[in-house]
Amino acid sequence: MTVKVGIPRALLFYYYFPMWNGFFRALGADVILSSNTTKAILDKGVRQSVDDACLPVKLFFGHVLDLKDRVDYLFIPRMVSVERKEYICPKFLGLPDMIRYNVPDLPPILDVTVNVSRSEKNLFKAFAEVGRVFTSNPRTIRKAYNRGIEEQERFHRLNHLGYLPHEAIEQMGRGLLNQNHSPARQGDMTIALVGHGYNIYDSYISMNLIQKLRDMGVRVVTPDNLTGTIIEEKSAELPKKMFWTLGKRMIGSAFHYMRSDSIDGIIHVASFGCGPDSFTGEIIERHLRRRRNIPFLNLTIDEHTGEAGIITRLEAYVDMIRLRRAAQ
Amino acid sequence: MCGYLGIDVGSVSTNIVLLDEDERVCDSLYIRTQGQPINAVQKGLEYIRERIPEGMKIEGVGTTGSGRHLAGIIVGADSVKNEITSHAIAASSLVPGVQTVLEIGGQDSKIIILRNGVVADFAMNTVCAAGTGSFLDQQAARLNIPIEEFGDIALKAGNPVRIAGRCSVFAESDMIHKQQMGHNLPDILAGLCDALVRNYLNNVGKGKEILEPVIFQGGVAANIGIKQAFEKALGVEVIIPEHYDVMGAVGAAILARDAVRKTGTTSFRGFEVAEEMFEAASFECKDCPNLCEVIEIRDRKNILARWNDKCGKWSNAIAEKKKIS
Repeated sequence: MTVKVGIPRALLFYYYFPMWNGFFRALGADVILSSNTTKAILDKGVRQSVDDACLPVKLFFGHVLDLKDRVDYLFIPRMVSVERKEYICPKFLGLPDMIRYNVPDLPPILDVTVNVSRSEKNLFKAFAEVGRVFTSNPRTIRKAYNRGIEEQERFHRLNHLGYLPHEAIEQMGRGLLNQNHSPARQGDMTIALVGHGYNIYDSYISMNLIQKLRDMGVRVVTPDNLTGTIIEEKSAELPKKMFWTLGKRMIGSAFHYMRSDSIDGIIHVASFGCGPDSFTGEIIERHLRRRRNIPFLNLTIDEHTGEAGIITRLEAYVDMIRLRRAAQ
Repeated sequence: MCGYLGIDVGSVSTNIVLLDEDERVCDSLYIRTQGQPINAVQKGLEYIRERIPEGMKIEGVGTTGSGRHLAGIIVGADSVKNEITSHAIAASSLVPGVQTVLEIGGQDSKIIILRNGVVADFAMNTVCAAGTGSFLDQQAARLNIPIEEFGDIALKAGNPVRIAGRCSVFAESDMIHKQQMGHNLPDILAGLCDALVRNYLNNVGKGKEILEPVIFQGGVAANIGIKQAFEKALGVEVIIPEHYDVMGAVGAAILARDAVRKTGTTSFRGFEVAEEMFEAASFECKDCPNLCEVIEIRDRKNILARWNDKCGKWSNAIAEKKKIS
């Protein structure tokens, strides 16, 4: 019997799934994902989690509940830091604990700490620790780790070609690993959608934002389509280093896109109650007004399922860009 | 002579406007939606039908507001457009040269910045509906004063009290405290107007360049107290256009006219729809864990529309039937 490792389709799944998947598969494990978000998953998550958590964290609970009875292990790493001298949101730090103490009848949790704030070598150490659950052979672990890194690099390449992370994950799942072409996109305008991956690519939580924009004839680009170098370079324009990695990606990409002539507008997507989102939105809007007059829209998402509010704002925003262009 | 109907189905009121070819408002109606958008639209159509000028033929109809899709199905709309675009179009047509539109409705508030007749920027309140018309309604009811008199009473204030405006729940408890301490009604109402305006400018108006001419529209513009609070806070004259309470409907009518000019014909189903029986029902689709609440609109014979299903199974079934028949 192969060991089944469960990965919730939530939070950092949208950033690191290919690495985790490659690693576990190379160790001979089966990787089981939770289902796509549904109303039932969200309801369960909201009921089970602490009430002052943000929606994405509540949703993570729902995905754990969806998964827990189908797997031998749950992989919930404690993500402290993924880049030097930077951190991930504190709620991610406490994620394995929050899950462990709020959800009954769990399979064992693989909750190694990933913290590269001081040294990047810690990344391998974390994976080695997980690897030892499956094998005592250090060479097998090293090989699996390298496999994971390779998969992650492929994933990034697809992102840089223009595939959005959820599309890239799907492509890789179908075995199309070495794509060289950008995806074909129709549309008469391009909008940069700046938000956390777990908010914008989960079509249930985002109320299918990306598809709605595409249906209106909009090409959508996101922070994930940019290379790390661009993000670093542009976010360094802030007077003080932004030490939240995910917020830095949003700011860096917005600064890049606001200078690009091919971008017609920037939409910032925030989770209601997210501290970092509240100021990334503000910083982006201020810089935008100082630099270039392209339209900005701030969307806040929470548990609402009535789509009228979001549709009204998107329609009006896209109308505005088209009418402005027609008037020029 | 041809006329165009604009229907704005909002959360609190349903407004209908009859526009002639030269964008003049011939007739307008403001009725309370009272949670029954279909009824409100039908009632409104009945009124308009009786007052329609002789010889005028309806050549187009447009809908807007949060109930625009529902209303669009019932009347057979030529254009179904969001309320921001509709408000902006009406404002720039009725008040040429306008640069800032302040709009406060029942459940939402927005600011629209126009430059050279085109929307340059807009903002809408976020997930929270604090400080909109329905809150004023509620407070007027609690104080047992008709909402129509709210503004005039507020104008009599000598010394407006300060009321917490960030959240309507905070505002309500603060108002109760002030009233129990003995402040008089005009001072409290004027304080509430100031709080609402302060919250609006901080929240919706944040970072926007508010240039004259500034117009104030939406149902709340009837409240002279709020108008005055805006003038005090902004230091500019705030104009209330003649048809301030039906601007969304005016915009919808203009958009319908433009749509019909392109297509050549109208899909208006006629005033008979006012007498027809429409039934709206919803059911929970249990075919997948999304449990979508699907809405279905039917008349006596047919299912006219379905929506709100994520996968499109129910809504597409209707579209296909239409193709066949």
